Amino acid sequence: MGVSKGDEVFVNEIKAGNAAAFEAMVLKYQPKLMSSLIGYTKSKDQAEELCQKTFIRVWQKIDSFRGDSALFTWIYRIGINLAKNDFASSFSRSSKITDSLDQNEHDVPEYLSPETELIAAESEEKIMQFIQTLDADTKTAFTLREIDGRTYDEIAKILKCPIGTVRSRIFRARQLILEFINQENIING
Amino acid sequence: MDKDLEKLSALYDGELSYKEIQEGLDNMHEEPDLKDIFHQFGLISELVQRQAEQKKSKIVFFKDYFSKVNPVMSNLVTAAATVVITLIILYQFDDDRFQVDKEGSLQLSSAISSDEAKSQLLNADQNVMEHMIHIMQSNKSHGSQQISKNWIPVGFSVNPNNPNQYSNGRNNLFFHLENKQLGIKKVKYFKANNNWIYLIPLQDGRLLTAYGDVPPSVADPMIQSIYQRN
Repeated sequence: MGVSKGDEVFVNEIKAGNAAAFEAMVLKYQPKLMSSLIGYTKSKDQAEELCQKTFIRVWQKIDSFRGDSALFTWIYRIGINLAKNDFASSFSRSSKITDSLDQNEHDVPEYLSPETELIAAESEEKIMQFIQTLDADTKTAFTLREIDGRTYDEIAKILKCPIGTVRSRIFRARQLILEFINQENIING
Repeated sequence: MDKDLEKLSALYDGELSYKEIQEGLDNMHEEPDLKDIFHQFGLISELVQRQAEQKKSKIVFFKDYFSKVNPVMSNLVTAAATVVITLIILYQFDDDRFQVDKEGSLQLSSAISSDEAKSQLLNADQNVMEHMIHIMQSNKSHGSQQISKNWIPVGFSVNPNNPNQYSNGRNNLFFHLENKQLGIKKVKYFKANNNWIYLIPLQDGRLLTAYGDVPPSVADPMIQSIYQRN
């Protein structure tokens, strides 16, 4: 699967030096990358450090991204390679990671600070249960998007409704979930 | 404000025009609150997708399990598991909620319309899984079974070309009786591609399975009727 239409715009903008696009891309994929890196390293601190290095590398290497794979797949490969490199260097004591915060440095958003948590495991269940309470139309549009990765156009065809309705249902689902998360103090609690 | 956030949600999904994306990125760059929300969309995605992945891995577990216990069955299971993956939804008829859901909500491809239901399926006793797979693969009832006339939906009659099959000219249905209820306590139904499987526990301890391209809107009166007589 190649790069999605939305990510393609992000990539082109980042290639053109658009810092806002880079920031948005980090905000979007940081949770997934963190989750993958925590799974790989079993260490949140290490994952955070690698996450930061990964996005620096992404910024530096974005010109080499050809769009043959999904953007996150490419980011993920960079992250895992850095993690392997990191792991190897911890034995050899000669760091092979050459990323330096020098001329190609770009500020990675503050969301990579230690305060940023992935959703705690015990809260996940609550959120998943809450999603089940959403009305069928909202939940269906949301799951088709998030789980099946369908485009709005595809969802509109499946559900036989206008694209605008799909857009508002997906937003509605996210809005309700965020309200629930805030009520329960799940992220910052 | 909601309209702005709706646009942000569409931006997150990459579903805006180029111009709108530019505007969205600019707005987000200037508004820390929007950044927070955008990032939280990412957290939600990560959670939901990871949970979905974990459930998929259970399907793989089932396939591995079947291939170990019965290599011959495993081929069937591979095909059937594909069906099971898209088999999507399990609804449970409750006594106080004995109704048929909207047809539209049942045409969900692999969307998890009921996560709880899907979990129930995935966590179902292996005997139920095997039973479902058997039903899907065999697509016929056993001629020796005593199928009560009361179970046949109104408008259906025996297919002259297949005495085990019942048809109303548009939909086909067959029944299967199992002596054990396989832990099924309430009526449940599943959709597999264009067919439906209804598991109906009878009061005498047996399990009646109805299988065919009969949607719930048609099957509902049949199930109610069986329940009332049961």
